[in-house]
Amino acid sequence: MNWSEEILIFIVAGLVTVAVSITGYGIPATDALIGCGIIVGVTIAGIAAAKVLPGNLPMVFWVSILAIGVATPVSPFAGFISAYTNKVDFLAICTVVLSYAGLTIGKDLAMFKQMSWRIIVVALAIYTGTFVFATVIAQIMLHLEGLI
Amino acid sequence: MNLLKNWKIHFMALILAVIAEWIGVKKISVGPGVLLFLPMLYAMILGAFISWPKIKVLKESETKHATEVLGLLTLLLVTKLGIVIGPSLAKIADAGFALSVQELGHFLGTVILGLPIAIALGLGRESVGATFSIDREPNIAIIAEKYGLNSPEGRGVMAVYICGTVFGAIWIGLIAGFLAAMHIFHPYALAMGSGVGSGSMMAAATGAIATVFPDQKQEILMYAGASNLLTTIVGIYFCLFISLPVTNYLYKKLSPILAPKRLKKDGAAK
Repeated sequence: MNWSEEILIFIVAGLVTVAVSITGYGIPATDALIGCGIIVGVTIAGIAAAKVLPGNLPMVFWVSILAIGVATPVSPFAGFISAYTNKVDFLAICTVVLSYAGLTIGKDLAMFKQMSWRIIVVALAIYTGTFVFATVIAQIMLHLEGLI
Repeated sequence: MNLLKNWKIHFMALILAVIAEWIGVKKISVGPGVLLFLPMLYAMILGAFISWPKIKVLKESETKHATEVLGLLTLLLVTKLGIVIGPSLAKIADAGFALSVQELGHFLGTVILGLPIAIALGLGRESVGATFSIDREPNIAIIAEKYGLNSPEGRGVMAVYICGTVFGAIWIGLIAGFLAAMHIFHPYALAMGSGVGSGSMMAAATGAIATVFPDQKQEILMYAGASNLLTTIVGIYFCLFISLPVTNYLYKKLSPILAPKRLKKDGAAK
């Protein structure tokens, strides 16, 4: 996938998120457009940083650094960025991302049907294990440190 | 231009997302908890149905395009959470020690619960590939490099990968909502637990917890985002240098106890 296509995909997905924010969350169209525009813009800038900057660090690293950076109190745009992106509900973005995720499942269904029930039980245990053990440790640690 | 050729994927995503939000959140009480159905879950299930080859709505090339698109779009979640974290970096730093230690739960939780079950169910070396991590793309790369994907370990990691694509987010979203509604754990602890290192699974878990505790939504997004970031970035190294050797060690120790017959069979084959 080339660069211009990646940008176009983000613009299209950003517009889908705008539509979901307006219809599902009652956000005014201009707010949704600016909020989604910021999120898409920061993401694209992060990907660009990952491609240009040395160290061969993953995209998720640079995107996170940039997103955190532009919203820290030091950033001159922090207030503006937080005000508008807060209007774009996290759940609206989740719905859009998982719509695309759903559309990828079909190609794996044939393989999935051949799978033994044993591996499905194991997979359920794996996801439960990672979530529950981390939650239990977090609960204990936050409690010991007096944070909750 | 691929985007124009694959316009159907984006059009479908729009329709699915709007319909899913229109249906809205549904709750069903089950025993001590609640099964929480969020719009993102309907969007995913409807999407799976539409992309099912038998329905013939989407071509194979189009679902492949959706996979590439998904890889990019999970970054939107990362950005959104990063912007939530930014103003509260000091608060995250206060919880830094707790955040770091709970990562052990993410990395070893898969092995602790998954490995004994896998061995007891009669999986051989497959159990090592299957349970050493949550088996998303970076973890597959580790197994592919060490054992190759045609090995038992490779089959294990690929099988769980496919399970994860098909029902990982749905399952973890339901579990997270159920546990949250039981009010045993603090929402911040649940939020940290949600950062499992896969975009869609993290989204499903975090969304469910934020829906159960709407007043603490910002903090939940903040801790979940920070935890997911740690899991993703530290994950590759931890899985390679600690999880995989630990899983191999435990496999050797547990196999004679949980599957003595299988071990004899393996011995005879050699």
